[in-house]
Amino acid sequence: MSCSRRHFIAGMGAVIFMTGPVNRTLAQTMSINGIRYGMVYDETRCIGCTACMDACREVNKVPEGVSRLNIIRSGPTGEFPEAKYQFYRHSCQHCDNPPCVDVCPTGASYKDAATGIVDVNPDRCVGCQYCIAACPYRVRFIHPVRKTADKCNFCRDTNLAQGKLPACVESCPTKALTFGNLDDPNSEIVKLIENRTTYRAKVHLGTEPKMYRIPSKHGEIKG
Amino acid sequence: MSSAFHFESLVWDWPIAIYLFLIGVSAGMTTIAVFLKRRVLVDGASRDGIIKATAIIAPLAVIVGLVILIFHLTRPWTFWHLMIFYSPTSVMSMGVMLFQVYMLVLLAWLAVLFRQEIASFLEQRFKAFRWINGIISVLARFERVLEPLMIFLAVALGAYTGFLLSALKTYPMLNNPVLPVLFLFSGISSGAAAAVLFGITWFKQPIDSPSVHFVHQIEKPVVLFELFLLLALFVGLFFGGGQREAAAIAAIGGGFWSNVFWFGVIGLGILLPLIMSMVCSKRVQHSKSYMIAVACMGLSGILLLRFFILYAGQMTVA
Repeated sequence: MSCSRRHFIAGMGAVIFMTGPVNRTLAQTMSINGIRYGMVYDETRCIGCTACMDACREVNKVPEGVSRLNIIRSGPTGEFPEAKYQFYRHSCQHCDNPPCVDVCPTGASYKDAATGIVDVNPDRCVGCQYCIAACPYRVRFIHPVRKTADKCNFCRDTNLAQGKLPACVESCPTKALTFGNLDDPNSEIVKLIENRTTYRAKVHLGTEPKMYRIPSKHGEIKG
Repeated sequence: MSSAFHFESLVWDWPIAIYLFLIGVSAGMTTIAVFLKRRVLVDGASRDGIIKATAIIAPLAVIVGLVILIFHLTRPWTFWHLMIFYSPTSVMSMGVMLFQVYMLVLLAWLAVLFRQEIASFLEQRFKAFRWINGIISVLARFERVLEPLMIFLAVALGAYTGFLLSALKTYPMLNNPVLPVLFLFSGISSGAAAAVLFGITWFKQPIDSPSVHFVHQIEKPVVLFELFLLLALFVGLFFGGGQREAAAIAAIGGGFWSNVFWFGVIGLGILLPLIMSMVCSKRVQHSKSYMIAVACMGLSGILLLRFFILYAGQMTVA
Protein backbone atom coordinates (compact mmCIF):
# COMPACT_ATOMS: atom_id res chain seq x y z
CA MET A 1 0.00 0.00 0.00
CA SER A 2 1.45 3.35 -0.98
CA CYS A 3 1.48 6.24 1.44
CA SER A 4 1.59 9.48 -0.46
CA ARG A 5 1.74 12.84 1.26
CA ARG A 6 -1.78 13.52 0.06
CA HIS A 7 -3.07 10.37 1.72
CA PHE A 8 -1.16 11.12 4.88
CA ILE A 9 -2.63 14.62 5.19
CA ALA A 10 -6.14 13.34 4.47
CA GLY A 11 -5.64 10.59 7.04
CA MET A 12 -4.40 12.99 9.69
CA GLY A 13 -7.35 15.25 8.96
CA ALA A 14 -9.67 12.35 9.59
CA VAL A 15 -7.85 11.49 12.82
CA ILE A 16 -8.08 15.08 14.05
CA PHE A 17 -11.77 15.18 13.17
CA MET A 18 -12.51 11.90 14.91
CA THR A 19 -10.61 12.70 18.09
CA GLY A 20 -11.10 16.45 18.36
CA PRO A 21 -13.50 18.35 20.57
CA VAL A 22 -16.12 18.34 17.80
CA ASN A 23 -16.79 14.70 18.44
CA ARG A 24 -17.10 15.19 22.16
CA THR A 25 -19.69 17.92 21.68
CA LEU A 26 -21.63 15.75 19.25
CA ALA A 27 -21.51 12.79 21.60
CA GLN A 28 -22.83 14.86 24.45
CA THR A 29 -25.55 16.81 22.72
CA MET A 30 -26.84 14.28 20.22
CA SER A 31 -29.24 11.83 21.71
CA ILE A 32 -30.00 8.48 20.21
CA ASN A 33 -33.73 8.55 20.85
CA GLY A 34 -34.03 12.19 19.94
CA ILE A 35 -34.91 13.28 23.47
CA ARG A 36 -32.94 15.88 25.37
CA TYR A 37 -35.10 17.36 28.07
CA GLY A 38 -34.80 20.99 29.03
CA MET A 39 -36.85 23.67 30.73
CA VAL A 40 -37.69 27.30 30.23
CA TYR A 41 -38.37 29.41 33.30
CA ASP A 42 -40.15 32.64 32.44
CA GLU A 43 -39.17 35.22 35.05
CA THR A 44 -41.71 37.65 33.60
CA ARG A 45 -44.54 35.25 34.42
CA CYS A 46 -43.42 33.95 37.78
CA ILE A 47 -45.32 35.55 40.67
CA GLY A 48 -43.39 33.81 43.43
CA CYS A 49 -46.37 31.82 44.73
CA THR A 50 -44.06 28.81 45.37
CA ALA A 51 -46.73 26.31 44.31
CA CYS A 52 -43.94 24.59 42.33
CA MET A 53 -41.86 24.15 45.49
CA ASP A 54 -44.73 22.55 47.37
CA ALA A 55 -45.65 20.27 44.47
CA CYS A 56 -42.04 19.14 44.09
CA ARG A 57 -41.77 18.36 47.79
CA GLU A 58 -44.97 16.34 47.78
CA VAL A 59 -44.43 14.37 44.57
CA ASN A 60 -40.79 13.55 45.21
CA LYS A 61 -41.16 13.06 48.99
CA VAL A 62 -38.47 15.63 49.75
CA PRO A 63 -37.98 15.85 53.55
CA GLU A 64 -38.12 19.06 55.53
CA GLY A 65 -34.89 21.01 55.81
CA VAL A 66 -33.76 20.35 52.24
CA SER A 67 -35.28 21.17 48.86
CA ARG A 68 -34.84 20.28 45.21
CA LEU A 69 -36.37 23.54 44.10
CA ASN A 70 -36.31 27.04 45.51
CA ILE A 71 -37.79 30.25 44.19
CA ILE A 72 -35.56 33.04 45.35
CA ARG A 73 -37.17 36.44 45.62
CA SER A 74 -35.15 39.61 45.33
CA GLY A 75 -36.30 43.18 45.61
CA PRO A 76 -38.43 45.12 45.88
CA THR A 77 -37.26 47.68 43.38
CA GLY A 78 -39.26 50.91 43.49
CA GLU A 79 -41.68 52.22 46.08
CA PHE A 80 -45.15 50.91 46.91
CA PRO A 81 -47.48 50.65 44.96
CA GLU A 82 -44.94 50.35 42.14
CA ALA A 83 -42.74 47.91 44.04
CA LYS A 84 -41.49 45.09 41.82
CA TYR A 85 -39.95 41.78 42.79
CA GLN A 86 -37.71 39.49 40.82
CA PHE A 87 -37.79 35.72 41.05
CA TYR A 88 -35.07 33.22 40.34
CA ARG A 89 -35.43 29.47 40.07
CA HIS A 90 -32.75 27.66 42.04
CA SER A 91 -32.69 24.01 40.97
CA CYS A 92 -30.68 21.52 38.92
CA GLN A 93 -29.77 22.97 35.51
CA HIS A 94 -29.41 19.53 33.89
CA CYS A 95 -26.11 20.47 32.30
CA ASP A 96 -25.14 18.80 29.06
CA ASN A 97 -21.61 18.81 30.43
CA PRO A 98 -22.30 18.26 34.14
CA PRO A 99 -19.36 18.79 36.56
CA CYS A 100 -21.12 16.68 39.20
CA VAL A 101 -21.07 13.66 36.88
CA ASP A 102 -17.43 14.24 35.92
CA VAL A 103 -16.21 14.22 39.52
CA CYS A 104 -18.38 11.40 40.90
CA PRO A 105 -15.97 8.57 41.79
CA THR A 106 -18.50 5.73 41.68
CA GLY A 107 -20.73 6.69 38.77
CA ALA A 108 -23.63 7.34 41.17
CA SER A 109 -24.09 10.72 39.50
CA TYR A 110 -24.90 10.16 35.87
CA LYS A 111 -26.49 11.69 32.83
CA ASP A 112 -29.25 9.48 31.49
CA ALA A 113 -28.40 8.84 27.84
CA ALA A 114 -32.02 8.40 26.78
CA THR A 115 -33.34 11.70 28.17
CA GLY A 116 -30.33 13.90 28.94
CA ILE A 117 -31.54 14.13 32.55
CA VAL A 118 -28.82 14.36 35.21
CA ASP A 119 -29.74 11.96 37.99
CA VAL A 120 -28.35 10.19 41.07
CA ASN A 121 -28.31 6.47 41.73
CA PRO A 122 -28.64 6.42 45.54
CA ASP A 123 -27.61 2.77 45.83
CA ARG A 124 -24.17 3.56 44.50
CA CYS A 125 -23.60 6.91 46.25
CA VAL A 126 -21.12 6.85 49.15
CA GLY A 127 -21.75 10.43 50.26
CA CYS A 128 -18.31 11.87 49.56
CA GLN A 129 -19.98 15.19 48.66
CA TYR A 130 -17.56 15.79 45.79
CA CYS A 131 -20.56 16.43 43.49
CA ILE A 132 -22.03 18.94 45.94
CA ALA A 133 -18.77 20.87 45.91
CA ALA A 134 -18.40 20.53 42.13
CA CYS A 135 -21.83 21.90 41.22
CA PRO A 136 -21.39 25.62 40.50
CA TYR A 137 -25.16 26.11 40.80
CA ARG A 138 -25.20 24.88 44.43
CA VAL A 139 -28.31 22.75 43.95
CA ARG A 140 -27.18 19.43 45.43
CA PHE A 141 -27.66 18.28 49.00
CA ILE A 142 -27.46 15.19 51.15
CA HIS A 143 -30.87 13.57 51.56
CA PRO A 144 -31.37 13.47 55.34
CA VAL A 145 -32.97 10.02 55.30
CA ARG A 146 -31.04 8.21 52.59
CA LYS A 147 -27.73 9.98 53.36
CA THR A 148 -27.01 10.17 49.64
CA ALA A 149 -26.69 13.07 47.20
CA ASP A 150 -30.00 14.32 45.88
CA LYS A 151 -31.43 17.01 43.62
CA CYS A 152 -34.07 17.67 40.94
CA ASN A 153 -34.32 15.00 38.26
CA PHE A 154 -37.25 16.49 36.34
CA CYS A 155 -39.45 13.99 38.25
CA ARG A 156 -37.87 11.23 36.17
CA ASP A 157 -38.85 8.51 38.63
CA THR A 158 -42.20 10.03 39.65
CA ASN A 159 -44.36 12.18 37.36
CA LEU A 160 -42.36 11.63 34.18
CA ALA A 161 -42.42 7.87 34.69
CA GLN A 162 -46.23 8.09 34.85
CA GLY A 163 -46.37 10.05 31.60
CA LYS A 164 -47.05 13.36 33.33
CA LEU A 165 -45.16 16.63 33.24
CA PRO A 166 -42.76 17.44 36.12
CA ALA A 167 -44.66 18.45 39.27
CA CYS A 168 -43.46 22.07 39.17
CA VAL A 169 -44.61 22.52 35.57
CA GLU A 170 -47.95 20.91 36.28
CA SER A 171 -48.65 23.04 39.33
CA CYS A 172 -47.58 26.45 38.00
CA PRO A 173 -50.68 28.68 37.90
CA THR A 174 -49.13 31.26 35.55
CA LYS A 175 -47.54 28.81 33.11
CA ALA A 176 -44.12 30.22 33.80
CA LEU A 177 -42.53 26.81 33.21
CA THR A 178 -42.17 25.01 29.89
CA PHE A 179 -40.73 21.52 29.81
CA GLY A 180 -39.86 19.58 26.69
CA ASN A 181 -37.46 18.10 24.17
CA LEU A 182 -34.76 20.51 23.02
CA ASP A 183 -33.90 18.21 20.10
CA ASP A 184 -37.40 18.35 18.64
CA PRO A 185 -37.64 21.42 16.38
CA ASN A 186 -41.45 21.36 16.61
CA SER A 187 -41.67 21.23 20.39
CA GLU A 188 -43.21 24.07 22.35
CA ILE A 189 -39.97 24.64 24.26
CA VAL A 190 -37.84 25.02 21.12
CA LYS A 191 -40.32 27.49 19.62
CA LEU A 192 -40.34 29.46 22.85
CA ILE A 193 -36.53 29.66 22.98
CA GLU A 194 -36.41 30.65 19.30
CA ASN A 195 -38.88 33.48 19.76
CA ARG A 196 -37.93 34.94 23.12
CA THR A 197 -34.76 36.36 24.60
CA THR A 198 -33.35 33.80 27.00
CA TYR A 199 -30.24 33.37 29.10
CA ARG A 200 -28.62 30.54 30.98
CA ALA A 201 -26.74 30.79 34.28
CA LYS A 202 -22.93 30.68 34.38
CA VAL A 203 -22.44 29.60 30.76
CA HIS A 204 -18.82 30.76 30.98
CA LEU A 205 -18.06 27.61 32.97
CA GLY A 206 -18.79 25.46 29.93
CA THR A 207 -21.41 23.35 31.71
CA GLU A 208 -24.06 23.85 28.96
CA PRO A 209 -27.08 24.06 31.27
CA LYS A 210 -30.46 23.07 29.81
CA MET A 211 -32.38 25.47 32.07
CA TYR A 212 -33.25 28.46 29.90
CA ARG A 213 -34.53 31.64 31.50
CA ILE A 214 -36.59 34.50 30.10
CA PRO A 215 -35.23 37.54 31.95
CA SER A 216 -37.42 39.66 34.17
CA LYS A 217 -38.57 42.96 32.70
CA HIS A 218 -37.57 44.94 35.75
CA GLY A 219 -33.96 45.84 36.16
CA GLU A 220 -32.11 46.39 39.37
CA ILE A 221 -29.28 48.81 39.93
CA LYS A 222 -26.18 47.32 41.48
CA GLY A 223 -23.02 48.99 42.71
CA MET B 1 -24.91 31.42 61.10
CA SER B 2 -21.87 32.57 59.19
CA SER B 3 -18.44 32.15 60.74
CA ALA B 4 -14.93 31.17 59.65
CA PHE B 5 -15.77 27.48 60.01
CA HIS B 6 -19.44 27.55 58.97
CA PHE B 7 -20.59 29.38 55.89
CA GLU B 8 -23.11 28.65 53.17
CA SER B 9 -20.78 27.73 50.31
CA LEU B 10 -18.70 25.38 52.50
CA VAL B 11 -18.99 21.70 51.58
CA TRP B 12 -15.77 20.00 52.73
CA ASP B 13 -14.70 20.87 56.27
CA TRP B 14 -11.74 20.30 58.62
CA PRO B 15 -11.32 16.49 58.43
CA ILE B 16 -10.50 16.97 54.75
CA ALA B 17 -7.78 19.51 55.65
CA ILE B 18 -6.17 17.00 58.02
CA TYR B 19 -6.44 14.31 55.35
CA LEU B 20 -4.76 16.59 52.77
CA PHE B 21 -1.98 17.29 55.29
CA LEU B 22 -1.35 13.61 56.11
CA ILE B 23 -1.23 12.57 52.47
CA GLY B 24 1.26 15.38 51.78
CA VAL B 25 3.48 14.21 54.64
CA SER B 26 3.42 10.62 53.38
CA ALA B 27 4.13 11.53 49.76
CA GLY B 28 6.86 13.99 50.77
CA MET B 29 8.59 11.62 53.19
CA THR B 30 8.58 8.77 50.70
CA THR B 31 9.98 10.92 47.90
CA ILE B 32 12.78 12.14 50.16
CA ALA B 33 13.52 8.69 51.57
CA VAL B 34 13.98 7.10 48.14
CA PHE B 35 16.36 9.87 47.08
CA LEU B 36 18.15 9.66 50.44
CA LYS B 37 18.69 5.95 50.00
CA ARG B 38 19.92 6.26 46.41
CA ARG B 39 22.09 9.35 46.78
CA VAL B 40 23.46 9.20 50.33
CA LEU B 41 23.01 5.90 52.11
CA VAL B 42 23.21 3.35 49.28
CA ASP B 43 23.79 0.36 51.60
CA GLY B 44 22.68 -0.10 55.16
CA ALA B 45 19.75 2.28 54.65
CA SER B 46 17.63 0.24 57.05
CA ARG B 47 19.80 1.39 59.97
CA ASP B 48 19.18 5.07 59.27
CA GLY B 49 16.80 6.93 61.60
CA ILE B 50 15.19 8.93 58.82
CA ILE B 51 14.47 5.81 56.78
CA LYS B 52 13.05 4.14 59.90
CA ALA B 53 10.84 7.17 60.55
CA THR B 54 9.61 7.03 56.94
CA ALA B 55 8.88 3.32 57.25
CA ILE B 56 6.53 4.06 60.15
CA ILE B 57 5.06 7.47 59.31
CA ALA B 58 4.58 7.20 55.53
CA PRO B 59 2.21 4.20 55.55
CA LEU B 60 0.60 5.25 58.84
CA ALA B 61 -0.22 8.76 57.58
CA VAL B 62 -1.99 7.32 54.54
CA ILE B 63 -3.91 4.80 56.64
CA VAL B 64 -4.99 7.42 59.19
CA GLY B 65 -5.84 9.86 56.37
CA LEU B 66 -8.01 7.31 54.60
CA VAL B 67 -9.77 6.30 57.82
CA ILE B 68 -10.59 9.98 58.45
CA LEU B 69 -11.85 10.20 54.89
CA ILE B 70 -14.03 7.11 55.16
CA PHE B 71 -15.72 8.41 58.30
CA HIS B 72 -16.26 11.74 56.58
CA LEU B 73 -18.52 9.99 54.04
CA THR B 74 -22.20 10.29 54.82
CA ARG B 75 -22.39 6.53 54.29
CA PRO B 76 -19.05 5.23 55.63
CA TRP B 77 -19.92 1.55 55.29
CA THR B 78 -20.36 1.87 51.54
CA PHE B 79 -16.74 3.01 51.08
CA TRP B 80 -15.99 -0.22 49.20
CA HIS B 81 -18.11 1.10 46.32
CA LEU B 82 -15.14 3.36 45.63
CA MET B 83 -12.97 0.31 45.14
CA ILE B 84 -15.19 -1.53 42.69
CA PHE B 85 -16.88 1.21 40.67
CA TYR B 86 -14.37 3.37 38.84
CA SER B 87 -14.93 6.48 36.79
CA PRO B 88 -12.03 7.63 34.60
CA THR B 89 -13.31 11.24 34.54
CA SER B 90 -13.21 11.52 38.33
CA VAL B 91 -9.99 12.66 39.97
CA MET B 92 -11.14 11.01 43.20
CA SER B 93 -11.71 7.68 41.50
CA MET B 94 -8.27 7.77 39.91
CA GLY B 95 -6.92 8.72 43.34
CA VAL B 96 -8.43 5.60 44.92
CA MET B 97 -6.60 3.53 42.32
CA LEU B 98 -3.40 5.47 42.99
CA PHE B 99 -3.70 4.90 46.75
CA GLN B 100 -3.94 1.16 46.29
CA VAL B 101 -0.90 0.97 44.01
CA TYR B 102 1.02 3.40 46.21
CA MET B 103 0.41 1.37 49.36
CA LEU B 104 1.38 -1.90 47.65
CA VAL B 105 4.58 -0.48 46.18
CA LEU B 106 5.44 1.33 49.43
CA LEU B 107 5.06 -1.85 51.47
CA ALA B 108 7.04 -3.83 48.87
CA TRP B 109 9.82 -1.24 48.82
CA LEU B 110 10.00 -1.12 52.63
CA ALA B 111 9.96 -4.92 52.86
CA VAL B 112 12.91 -5.12 50.49
CA LEU B 113 14.71 -2.35 52.36
CA PHE B 114 14.25 -4.08 55.72
CA ARG B 115 14.60 -7.63 54.42
CA GLN B 116 17.41 -8.60 56.84
CA GLU B 117 15.55 -7.23 59.85
CA ILE B 118 12.33 -8.94 58.77
CA ALA B 119 14.19 -12.23 58.21
CA SER B 120 15.81 -12.25 61.64
CA PHE B 121 12.57 -11.14 63.30
CA LEU B 122 10.62 -13.98 61.70
CA GLU B 123 13.40 -16.42 62.58
CA GLN B 124 13.18 -15.49 66.25
CA ARG B 125 9.45 -15.00 66.73
CA PHE B 126 7.26 -16.29 63.92
CA LYS B 127 8.91 -19.26 62.29
CA ALA B 128 5.60 -20.21 60.69
CA PHE B 129 5.73 -17.05 58.60
CA ARG B 130 9.16 -17.68 57.13
CA TRP B 131 7.60 -18.02 53.67
CA ILE B 132 7.34 -14.21 53.69
CA ASN B 133 11.10 -14.11 53.19
CA GLY B 134 10.66 -15.95 49.91
CA ILE B 135 8.25 -13.28 48.64
CA ILE B 136 10.59 -10.51 49.74
CA SER B 137 13.56 -12.07 47.98
CA VAL B 138 11.52 -12.23 44.77
CA LEU B 139 10.59 -8.54 45.23
CA ALA B 140 14.24 -7.69 45.94
CA ARG B 141 15.10 -8.68 42.37
CA PHE B 142 12.96 -5.77 41.19
CA GLU B 143 14.53 -3.23 43.55
CA ARG B 144 15.96 -1.18 40.67
CA VAL B 145 12.46 -0.88 39.18
CA LEU B 146 10.74 -0.44 42.51
CA GLU B 147 12.63 2.74 43.42
CA PRO B 148 11.83 4.91 40.38
CA LEU B 149 8.28 3.58 40.51
CA MET B 150 8.06 4.57 44.18
CA ILE B 151 9.20 8.12 43.36
CA PHE B 152 6.71 8.36 40.51
CA LEU B 153 3.84 7.19 42.73
CA ALA B 154 4.83 9.44 45.63
CA VAL B 155 5.00 12.49 43.36
CA ALA B 156 1.66 11.53 41.81
CA LEU B 157 0.12 11.21 45.28
CA GLY B 158 1.55 14.55 46.39
CA ALA B 159 0.04 16.28 43.37
CA TYR B 160 -3.19 14.25 43.52
CA THR B 161 -4.66 16.13 46.48
CA GLY B 162 -4.12 19.35 44.54
CA PHE B 163 -5.86 17.95 41.47
CA LEU B 164 -8.70 16.74 43.70
CA LEU B 165 -9.48 20.34 44.64
CA SER B 166 -8.57 21.95 41.33
CA ALA B 167 -11.30 19.88 39.60
CA LEU B 168 -13.93 21.98 41.40
CA LYS B 169 -15.14 24.55 38.85
CA THR B 170 -17.38 25.99 41.55
CA TYR B 171 -14.57 27.66 43.44
CA PRO B 172 -12.29 29.93 41.37
CA MET B 173 -9.51 29.85 43.97
CA LEU B 174 -9.36 26.05 43.92
CA ASN B 175 -10.00 25.62 40.18
CA ASN B 176 -6.42 26.56 39.54
CA PRO B 177 -3.45 24.83 37.87
CA VAL B 178 -0.99 26.05 40.53
CA LEU B 179 -2.70 23.99 43.23
CA PRO B 180 -1.30 20.52 42.38
CA VAL B 181 2.25 21.89 42.19
CA LEU B 182 1.79 23.86 45.41
CA PHE B 183 0.44 20.79 47.20
CA LEU B 184 3.28 18.63 45.91
CA PHE B 185 6.01 21.00 47.07
CA SER B 186 4.43 21.88 50.38
CA GLY B 187 3.98 18.13 50.86
CA ILE B 188 7.68 17.57 50.25
CA SER B 189 8.50 20.35 52.68
CA SER B 190 6.23 18.79 55.33
CA GLY B 191 7.78 15.39 54.58
CA ALA B 192 11.25 16.83 55.19
CA ALA B 193 10.12 18.39 58.47
CA ALA B 194 8.49 15.15 59.61
CA ALA B 195 11.57 13.15 58.59
CA VAL B 196 13.88 15.35 60.66
CA LEU B 197 11.48 15.57 63.60
CA PHE B 198 10.77 11.84 63.97
CA GLY B 199 14.22 10.76 62.77
CA ILE B 200 16.09 12.66 65.47
CA THR B 201 13.58 12.22 68.30
CA TRP B 202 12.16 8.68 68.01
CA PHE B 203 15.04 7.03 66.20
CA LYS B 204 17.91 9.00 67.73
CA GLN B 205 19.45 9.84 64.38
CA PRO B 206 22.55 11.99 65.08
CA ILE B 207 21.92 15.53 63.87
CA ASP B 208 25.35 15.77 62.25
CA SER B 209 24.79 12.63 60.16
CA PRO B 210 24.86 12.82 56.33
CA SER B 211 21.19 11.85 56.07
CA VAL B 212 19.94 14.68 58.31
CA HIS B 213 22.24 17.01 56.40
CA PHE B 214 20.73 15.80 53.09
CA VAL B 215 17.16 16.39 54.22
CA HIS B 216 18.11 19.74 55.69
CA GLN B 217 19.71 20.79 52.43
CA ILE B 218 16.58 20.30 50.34
CA GLU B 219 14.32 22.08 52.86
CA LYS B 220 15.29 25.66 52.07
CA PRO B 221 14.97 25.60 48.24
CA VAL B 222 11.65 23.75 48.54
CA VAL B 223 10.29 26.33 50.99
CA LEU B 224 11.42 29.22 48.77
CA PHE B 225 9.75 27.60 45.77
CA GLU B 226 6.60 27.15 47.86
CA LEU B 227 6.65 30.87 48.60
CA PHE B 228 6.94 31.61 44.88
CA LEU B 229 4.03 29.25 44.11
CA LEU B 230 1.85 31.06 46.64
CA LEU B 231 2.78 34.33 44.94
CA ALA B 232 1.94 32.85 41.52
CA LEU B 233 -1.37 31.52 42.86
CA PHE B 234 -2.57 34.88 44.13
CA VAL B 235 -1.13 37.02 41.35
CA GLY B 236 -2.86 34.68 38.90
CA LEU B 237 -6.14 35.12 40.75
CA PHE B 238 -5.78 38.92 40.86
CA PHE B 239 -5.05 39.11 37.14
CA GLY B 240 -7.91 36.68 36.42
CA GLY B 241 -10.47 39.36 37.33
CA GLY B 242 -14.11 38.77 38.21
CA GLN B 243 -14.76 36.07 40.77
CA ARG B 244 -11.09 34.99 40.71
CA GLU B 245 -10.06 38.42 41.89
CA ALA B 246 -12.91 38.45 44.40
CA ALA B 247 -11.74 35.07 45.72
CA ALA B 248 -8.17 36.33 46.19
CA ILE B 249 -9.31 39.45 48.02
CA ALA B 250 -11.69 37.45 50.24
CA ALA B 251 -8.90 35.00 51.08
CA ILE B 252 -5.92 37.22 51.86
CA GLY B 253 -7.36 40.73 52.09
CA GLY B 254 -8.52 40.57 55.71
CA GLY B 255 -10.55 38.43 58.07
CA PHE B 256 -9.93 35.19 59.93
CA TRP B 257 -8.51 33.08 57.10
CA SER B 258 -6.41 36.00 55.89
CA ASN B 259 -4.79 36.11 59.36
CA VAL B 260 -4.21 32.37 59.25
CA PHE B 261 -2.47 32.86 55.91
CA TRP B 262 -0.27 35.85 56.79
CA PHE B 263 0.64 34.91 60.35
CA GLY B 264 0.43 31.13 60.21
CA VAL B 265 1.37 30.02 56.70
CA ILE B 266 3.72 32.82 55.67
CA GLY B 267 4.94 34.05 59.07
CA LEU B 268 5.27 30.93 61.21
CA GLY B 269 5.71 28.37 58.45
CA ILE B 270 8.03 30.15 56.01
CA LEU B 271 9.51 33.50 57.11
CA LEU B 272 10.34 32.75 60.74
CA PRO B 273 12.42 29.63 59.95
CA LEU B 274 14.17 31.55 57.13
CA ILE B 275 14.95 34.50 59.40
CA MET B 276 16.11 32.16 62.16
CA SER B 277 18.53 30.48 59.78
CA MET B 278 20.00 33.89 58.96
CA VAL B 279 20.13 35.28 62.50
CA CYS B 280 21.06 32.29 64.65
CA SER B 281 24.68 31.16 64.97
CA LYS B 282 25.87 27.88 63.45
CA ARG B 283 26.23 26.43 66.94
CA VAL B 284 22.57 27.09 67.74
CA GLN B 285 21.47 25.82 64.36
CA HIS B 286 23.24 22.54 64.94
CA SER B 287 21.41 21.90 68.19
CA LYS B 288 18.71 19.31 68.47
CA SER B 289 16.15 21.67 70.01
CA TYR B 290 16.61 24.19 67.19
CA MET B 291 15.97 21.49 64.60
CA ILE B 292 12.90 20.23 66.43
CA ALA B 293 11.54 23.77 66.72
CA VAL B 294 12.05 24.52 63.01
CA ALA B 295 10.50 21.18 61.99
CA CYS B 296 7.47 21.88 64.18
CA MET B 297 7.07 25.35 62.68
CA GLY B 298 7.26 23.93 59.17
CA LEU B 299 4.69 21.23 59.94
CA SER B 300 2.31 23.71 61.60
CA GLY B 301 2.66 26.10 58.67
CA ILE B 302 1.73 23.40 56.18
CA LEU B 303 -1.16 22.11 58.25
CA LEU B 304 -2.45 25.70 58.38
CA LEU B 305 -1.88 26.04 54.62
CA ARG B 306 -4.16 23.03 54.05
CA PHE B 307 -6.82 24.54 56.31
CA PHE B 308 -6.46 27.93 54.66
CA ILE B 309 -6.68 26.63 51.07
CA LEU B 310 -9.64 24.40 51.88
CA TYR B 311 -11.71 26.96 53.80
CA ALA B 312 -10.72 30.19 52.05
CA GLY B 313 -11.00 28.36 48.73
CA GLN B 314 -14.64 27.56 49.35
CA MET B 315 -15.61 31.07 50.43
CA THR B 316 -16.04 32.43 46.90
CA VAL B 317 -18.24 30.78 44.27
CA ALA B 318 -17.74 31.25 40.52
